[in-house]
Amino acid sequence: MQKANYAVQLLLVLSLMLLINLIFFHDHTLNIVLVLLQLICLVYIFLFFKKINNVNYSSKLSDVHQIDNELFRASLHSITELLDETTTIIKSDADRAKTFVNEAVNGVSSSFLELQDLNAKQQEMISALIDKNRSIGDNEGTNLENFVNNSVKTLDDFVGVIVNTSKQSLLTMSYTDEMVKQFDGVFTLLEQVQNLANQTNLLALNAAIEAARAGDAGRGFAVVANEVRSLSVNSTELNEDIRNEIHQAQIIIDKLRQSVEVMASADMTSTLEAKNKVSEMMKHVEQVNLETAEGIDKLSALTPEIEDAVATGVRLLQFEDLTTQTLYSLQTELQNITTINEKLKHFEQLSLGQDNEQLLVIKEKSQELKNLTNSQKDRTVMQSSMNEGEIELF
Amino acid sequence: MSIKQQILADKNQVVIAIDKNFDFSLHQLFRESYTNCDTPKTNFILDLSRTQYMDSSALGMILLLKDHAEQLGGSVTVSKPSDTVYKILEIAQFHRLVTIEK
Repeated sequence: MQKANYAVQLLLVLSLMLLINLIFFHDHTLNIVLVLLQLICLVYIFLFFKKINNVNYSSKLSDVHQIDNELFRASLHSITELLDETTTIIKSDADRAKTFVNEAVNGVSSSFLELQDLNAKQQEMISALIDKNRSIGDNEGTNLENFVNNSVKTLDDFVGVIVNTSKQSLLTMSYTDEMVKQFDGVFTLLEQVQNLANQTNLLALNAAIEAARAGDAGRGFAVVANEVRSLSVNSTELNEDIRNEIHQAQIIIDKLRQSVEVMASADMTSTLEAKNKVSEMMKHVEQVNLETAEGIDKLSALTPEIEDAVATGVRLLQFEDLTTQTLYSLQTELQNITTINEKLKHFEQLSLGQDNEQLLVIKEKSQELKNLTNSQKDRTVMQSSMNEGEIELF
Repeated sequence: MSIKQQILADKNQVVIAIDKNFDFSLHQLFRESYTNCDTPKTNFILDLSRTQYMDSSALGMILLLKDHAEQLGGSVTVSKPSDTVYKILEIAQFHRLVTIEK
């Protein structure tokens, strides 16, 4: 604004002078004198304006100097206090972070080791279980499969015995039937014998009658006739006894029949059910074996996966290393701030005249620290992410 | 009648059909149904289509029939057994001894 003002004023004066020149243009001597005077006026005006500016500037400057200095000191004081507080908090936070990380890593580490241990134990138990499952029983390798197979064979043998018994029983029955026919034959014969005895009896009676008719001459004959009669009576009695015996035999044969019937007729239903159950058992055993084999495969696949997961976990624990590096860097940078802060505090205590020099010192020191930090950054190997490498903790 | 016998002379076959229960009570009838057939190489067909129950004596009877058939140089075929009856024949391993026609 000041410059604009100055320019406007100068222009006004110049135009005025030009006007005067134009008015007195025809009078050469006067013109020259006037021009000279104008030039001198211009110079004075120029110098006058310059002096005013300088006076304004330096008075402003000293005012500014006066006001800003107090404000400056006060601001500086606030800044240094703030920096003190903030750096203290940051330091303690960094320390706390370090402690947390340390504790966490230790905890997680031991947890992973325990996990690996448990995994190994589990694998052992599984192997033991598999072995046990394969050989139930004695040292000859009797297992469930063999047992079921033997049961099937036993059942088949048993059925064979039943069928055979049945066949033999039926044969026995047919022989028994033939025997019954024989007895019937015997009965028929016995009847004929009885008839003979009866006829003999009649004959003897007739003979006795004839003997009686013959008188004395027939007495001997009559005795013979009597004897024959008693023979036939005995014969009848004998016949009767034989009948009874045979009848007893028939009763026994009946019992034999019943007994054979029982032997021959065994109900097959329960055997059928038993065989079915055994077949189902075999299928079940096969199924169990299949599933066990599949289960074993799956379990075996899991163990290396668990190991991999644990290894990954252990690898990721190196975040402790990175965190420590980061915190260390943090502490170093914090040191820079503390150094500058100290310089600022020192600033407050100096007299007014040394402000500019002290500012220069601060500026140079900041520049130096900044350069140092930059060069350190280039030299340090800093990872920015967890996935950049596979470093093993030892 | 619990047993029906049919002689098909032209095919040299004797068909013996059994009713609902094939058990011990039929043993005499059964025996009579085949003992008189002595044509050589006769094929004896045992029709079990109506048979619902069979016990071990029936199995014995079938074995005796088989013996008789073999004496004649013939054979035995079990025809149309029900599922239960077939299972019983299977347990007794009869599918290896006689032909079973379903």
